Amino acid sequence: MKKMSIVADELIRFSSVLRMAYNFLDGRNYLKKKKFREKKKLISVGLPFSDLVYGFPDLVPVLPIRMHEFEIHKYLTYLGSASNVFGWNRVTNFLGYIKDLGIKDISQTVDDIIENVITTINSKYNEMYDIGVESGISTDFCYGVKSLYGMNVSKGKNCDANLNYTIRCSTWNKYLESIEAIGNPSKQIWIEIPPRNIGNTLELLIDNINQGISELEKISDFSYSDKALRDHFQTSNQIRQSYKKIIYDISTADFYPCNPATFCEILALLNISFHDYNSNATRYKDNITLLLEEMRGRINKGIGVDVSKKPKILITPMFGGWEPETHDIICELGGRVLYGDWDLLRFLDDIPISNTTDPVEAYAQFLMNANENGIGCDNDKLTDSYVRLAKNLKAEGLVFVQVFGCHSVSNCYTMLKEKIRRELEIPSIALNFNKMGENVEQVRTRLGAFMEMYR
Amino acid sequence: MANFKLLSEYYLSLKEKKEEGKKVVAFMSHDNIPEELIDAAGFIPLRMIFAGNDELMDASHDFLSPSTCAFAQSCIGAFSIKPEKYKFLELIDYFIVSNHCVSDICASEVIAKYFNIKRLNFYVSYTKTENSLKYFKLELLDLKKQLEEIKGTEIDAQVLMDSIKKYNNFKKKLLEISNAIISGSQKLNIFHKAMLYGPNILPELDNIIAEQSQTQISDESKDILLTGCSIFIDDYLNNLIEEGGGNVVFFDTWVGFNYYYQIIDEKVINATKDSMDLLAHRFDNNIYGDHTVPNFLERKVSHIETFYRKHEKKTGKKVGVINHIIKFCDHMSIMSSHLKKKLKEKGIPVLNLERDYSRANRGQLSTRIEAFLEMI
Repeated sequence: MKKMSIVADELIRFSSVLRMAYNFLDGRNYLKKKKFREKKKLISVGLPFSDLVYGFPDLVPVLPIRMHEFEIHKYLTYLGSASNVFGWNRVTNFLGYIKDLGIKDISQTVDDIIENVITTINSKYNEMYDIGVESGISTDFCYGVKSLYGMNVSKGKNCDANLNYTIRCSTWNKYLESIEAIGNPSKQIWIEIPPRNIGNTLELLIDNINQGISELEKISDFSYSDKALRDHFQTSNQIRQSYKKIIYDISTADFYPCNPATFCEILALLNISFHDYNSNATRYKDNITLLLEEMRGRINKGIGVDVSKKPKILITPMFGGWEPETHDIICELGGRVLYGDWDLLRFLDDIPISNTTDPVEAYAQFLMNANENGIGCDNDKLTDSYVRLAKNLKAEGLVFVQVFGCHSVSNCYTMLKEKIRRELEIPSIALNFNKMGENVEQVRTRLGAFMEMYR
Repeated sequence: MANFKLLSEYYLSLKEKKEEGKKVVAFMSHDNIPEELIDAAGFIPLRMIFAGNDELMDASHDFLSPSTCAFAQSCIGAFSIKPEKYKFLELIDYFIVSNHCVSDICASEVIAKYFNIKRLNFYVSYTKTENSLKYFKLELLDLKKQLEEIKGTEIDAQVLMDSIKKYNNFKKKLLEISNAIISGSQKLNIFHKAMLYGPNILPELDNIIAEQSQTQISDESKDILLTGCSIFIDDYLNNLIEEGGGNVVFFDTWVGFNYYYQIIDEKVINATKDSMDLLAHRFDNNIYGDHTVPNFLERKVSHIETFYRKHEKKTGKKVGVINHIIKFCDHMSIMSSHLKKKLKEKGIPVLNLERDYSRANRGQLSTRIEAFLEMI
């Protein structure tokens, strides 16, 4: 609880984070409004593959977990409602003012809100995991796939289509195929990203994307426009740029705008919400831009924490499931934690819209790059990408999350360990992960030994 | 002992060819590798169709996590431990890294990297569309180029065409064997030997069929369709099925149907000038393979049901389906509960049999198989 008080104290000054958290947790109401009042169609996506959907004003991309009802703390609900009337800045400034006055009950309430945001998302993921397993998916699959399966079993029927991109992970491809077998009536739209970039592969990918657009067109009553897609790419590039600045400029600095534990929570929230930009890319762009401004503003004013003595520990991969306590434990042990999965997998590279007039071609280039150097490449290149990220972040240690049942991005530790030792000369450790909360004491013990190296 | 003899003889045969200057190109067995290209280059294709055991699986954990497919683990283990029976693996010159599944990619990459075997690449599209076919052709051309660089000369078009015909005839013969009334273990032994040696063994196959068909199959035995993962060389699973009173009448697996059904129609062969188009055509027609998405499940269900009905009509006997799932096999595992449900709805009994290669499983597997056979 002590840590949570610090977290709350910091977060209250980041209205952007509260907005993002609220937009994530309140997704169900937002999506209901879009679907029933505005007659928009929901398109299910997984991993950060939502961009194409934004080319259709009548379609809304959604990571299925967001269709669930989250137990939002009543005061956060109030904040959300109040923000509709007064605006988020006024509401959060007001709360910050009250908090500064030291009114205990209010302070405790704010703590509760933040604790609620952080734990609610994770416990919902665990709930999805349980639904997945109860619905028949083998326990041998990774946490991410089991959770996604659970999301589709419970909420997939609300979507009009699933947008399925094939990647090198065959579990992923087969999971996408299984959505239909679950009994999900939504249309399955497939876009193959060719496994390698040889010959005229880029042309084939462009054609595959165009075919995907044609399929989405049928659902959207032909609302696609190149301009909408191009505008969206500009928006999403701004998101990526802000995201990268937070990862590379802020997290590598010696002075943090907040407690390191808070910083981890913010990075974790960004990681989860980046999948679909909380179904509204413009709103997300505004929030992440504001977040960056808020962080810089605090640093410039000297408000925050000197972290120059805290070793930078990169935890990765975490997008397919990781123990969220890991960063708390590392922070308790005197370190600070960095997360940068989407950059590792090349989802934070710009969509090269300025190089071409055709947005589809630009997106094809983006996907091909991610496939060749990030999410879809072989282990040699993938481990190069891990090393690149660790190097660019000036990481002083690496915690590798070996996800049970993951045969793809967390199945290269032997190769990575060698490269890390040879090229970066920093310590690394692999932690096994199956389900959140399942193995915390073992994680604590192992990290205790690992962090001893920095004392 | 029979397997030891097979593998020893294979070693000698391969060694002899190596001494003649031939290169050996290995790959983890899957049904989209164009072995004709390897053959036409004058090299020897070697499918990794060998079962594992505790030692082999354990040895792989230095490279990949224990939650990797048990077959992929065992393939790595075979290179790491180098057991005497698999000493022919030392003769491998090149290893194809392909993407049948992600475990195939990871394990092949580990084998090439850590056991100093030169790597070739051949990746396959995940979907079946006009574009994926075009992509497959790009990969074919790329593999051809890689092989030609090793060979030092171009692969002759006529030699490639002859190789395609040779493998086509070979598969037709295996189809005959599949239809022969011989026991499951006899069929499996023939498939193993044939897929190890390739079409060179074709003249021997007729004799083998003649010898094998003299044996009798008990009328009391329960007919089994084996689907899912293959039973590889040196695996005891088929013995357990037969000891329990079952007989596999149809191997709906890589080693079996998935291999020999990929026969190219003679008319298509005669009408097609470019051999690469024929290989692409075969990939396009490979609708029962587990690599591509989507529609695997519905095709599998329909295929099994068709066999079930035909077999019942022909023999009056019902067939039980054993869905063999090697632990951590993504492709078979994720659809297993759906496959079982759909087949049961059609009145077809199914046993989802998940296992790895550890010896400790034997008793439990035996019990489950016996219980299933009793139920049929």
